[in-house]
Amino acid sequence: MDWRNLQKARMALFAELISRVPQASMGRTMLMKLCYFLQEVRGVPLGYRFTIYSYGPFDSEVLSDLNTAVGLDGVKSTVVYNSAGYGYRLEPGPMSAAIRDDGEWFLRQHQDSIDWAVEEFGDKAASEMELESTMVFVDREAAGRGEILSLDLLTDRARNLKPHFQREHIAARAKDLYSRRLLKSVKREAALSA
Amino acid sequence: MGLDHIYEIRCPVHGFVALNAWEREIIDQPAFQRLKRIRQLAWTDQVYPGAMHTRFEHSLGVRHVANLLFDSVVRNSRALLESDLGYNETGLDRYRQLVRLAALLHDVGHSPFSHSSEDLFPERDGGGKKYVHEEYSAAIIRGPLRDVIENHRANANYAFSADDVAALIEGSAGAQKGIFWRDLISGQMDADRMDYLLRDSHHTGVHYGRYDLHRIVGTVTALRSGENSGLRVGIQEGGWHVAEALVLARYAMFTQVYFHKTRVAYDIHIREAMKAMLPNGRFPRPTELDKYLEWDDWKVLGLLAGGQGGEHGERLTQRKHYRRVYRSNEMMSHRDRECLEKLEERLGSLLAERVPAGRSKAWYKTDGSDIPVLSEQDGVARPLSYFSRAVSYLGKHDQVFLYCRPEDRLEADRIVKEVGGNGLA
Repeated sequence: MDWRNLQKARMALFAELISRVPQASMGRTMLMKLCYFLQEVRGVPLGYRFTIYSYGPFDSEVLSDLNTAVGLDGVKSTVVYNSAGYGYRLEPGPMSAAIRDDGEWFLRQHQDSIDWAVEEFGDKAASEMELESTMVFVDREAAGRGEILSLDLLTDRARNLKPHFQREHIAARAKDLYSRRLLKSVKREAALSA
Repeated sequence: MGLDHIYEIRCPVHGFVALNAWEREIIDQPAFQRLKRIRQLAWTDQVYPGAMHTRFEHSLGVRHVANLLFDSVVRNSRALLESDLGYNETGLDRYRQLVRLAALLHDVGHSPFSHSSEDLFPERDGGGKKYVHEEYSAAIIRGPLRDVIENHRANANYAFSADDVAALIEGSAGAQKGIFWRDLISGQMDADRMDYLLRDSHHTGVHYGRYDLHRIVGTVTALRSGENSGLRVGIQEGGWHVAEALVLARYAMFTQVYFHKTRVAYDIHIREAMKAMLPNGRFPRPTELDKYLEWDDWKVLGLLAGGQGGEHGERLTQRKHYRRVYRSNEMMSHRDRECLEKLEERLGSLLAERVPAGRSKAWYKTDGSDIPVLSEQDGVARPLSYFSRAVSYLGKHDQVFLYCRPEDRLEADRIVKEVGGNGLA
């Protein structure tokens, strides 16, 4: 896909996701991690390069594209403050429909994956999205090396990257991710022995 | 010399950069010395003649700044690092050295003329994505530099593997609990950005890139930005003005230097000239490091002098570079984009190249991420845009340039005038 069509595809995807994910959940973290899952789990060709940070898989280009979408009035971004800090709320902008139309061909092609992402993750909190995407990142890295992980090992590695979560919580997420068929490096035998 | 010996190297930006014996031996390696033969800003000297600095001194500078940032984060937020990440004195000492090594080596995998040639990296097996220079850096660390990292006497104190250093640079899960420090190597306020802004400003003579490094170093801290969120690197409220200055410096340098119309034209030509020189138009893969490391600016310049590089090589040697005939608004509306598409269609074969500012994300990071600031009032993080009106209004630089061949300039200008639109030549 050439750069111009890729931009249109990304803009359309953003407009689509932001119009479908419940407003209470839809912020920058949700958008970032949805792009991650769509690309890395479902193979949607977004052209991003995600690497790991303490806040999960991240590519600054997603936020750069979000800024473009805001500039085009396709998305409205508002900072939301609370007692713990802040987040961002994303809503459709006045040109949201136009942007989606520009990339309609892309949305049609990947409709199943988009539906899956919204259903699978749409109601999750940002912190859970960070944790789950981190765990899938660890899993995919291992799978890329041909490594087989147990759920325990996946839990330990994820906890190294997200130490503020309790181990029991991460372990429960690992089992859940396995049951949702989101893990490639954890085989049935390794999962059953956990 | 003993392991404690400090080697000082003069730096026009930082005064002196101090290296320990281990780091001194690392920079002596051929793979690191190669950075002396890779210019930081490619052909920017065609516009700003002083811009001849290399990746070598920039890498030393990043090492220097990363160390300052690390020490400041520890000083300003030790309790949080201990409670949230379980660090103790030994752990902190270990991570300090790890950050220093990663900062020193973060650019070791750069291709000739730096970012100009990033489009010439090969695709991974299975097609799709291209390699990036960080992956070459990681490969070099795991390859030719593995021995000097793992088997140096100083490593008896740390037991680092080459993988530990590579993981922090490439952003892989192998970074483990050290992942927190990645923000100092590659983040919104990383040591890389802090050094290159000052260094590029110094060598080009463009003062817009200057900001108060010492103030920003003094206020950097670890903080939590939201509920259930882990630690990240941010700024104490007392430093928000200088964080604002950093963001504005980045914006000014981008528009005045990195995205200067003539500089961009030379990027096009050097990229295409190298494409003509390289076997299959692509650099060797990270698995063929011996061949890759042969490529540096000197090799390319020698080939250019020998007449290689095709049409674009000739344009470089004879200064017949492409001319910009149109630039869009910095932030394009829907209507601006429609107008741009119309113009491109009308220009047809006269259009030699279209350069969107955001095309390569490696380009000096003009993304929209917002620096977290720790409020003095309630100890809670706020984005920088909460304090700084200038930052809140600063959008993304989304400008597009259209270029033609110099011989087609008159006709292209006529078409641009005819079509109109909100852009300018």
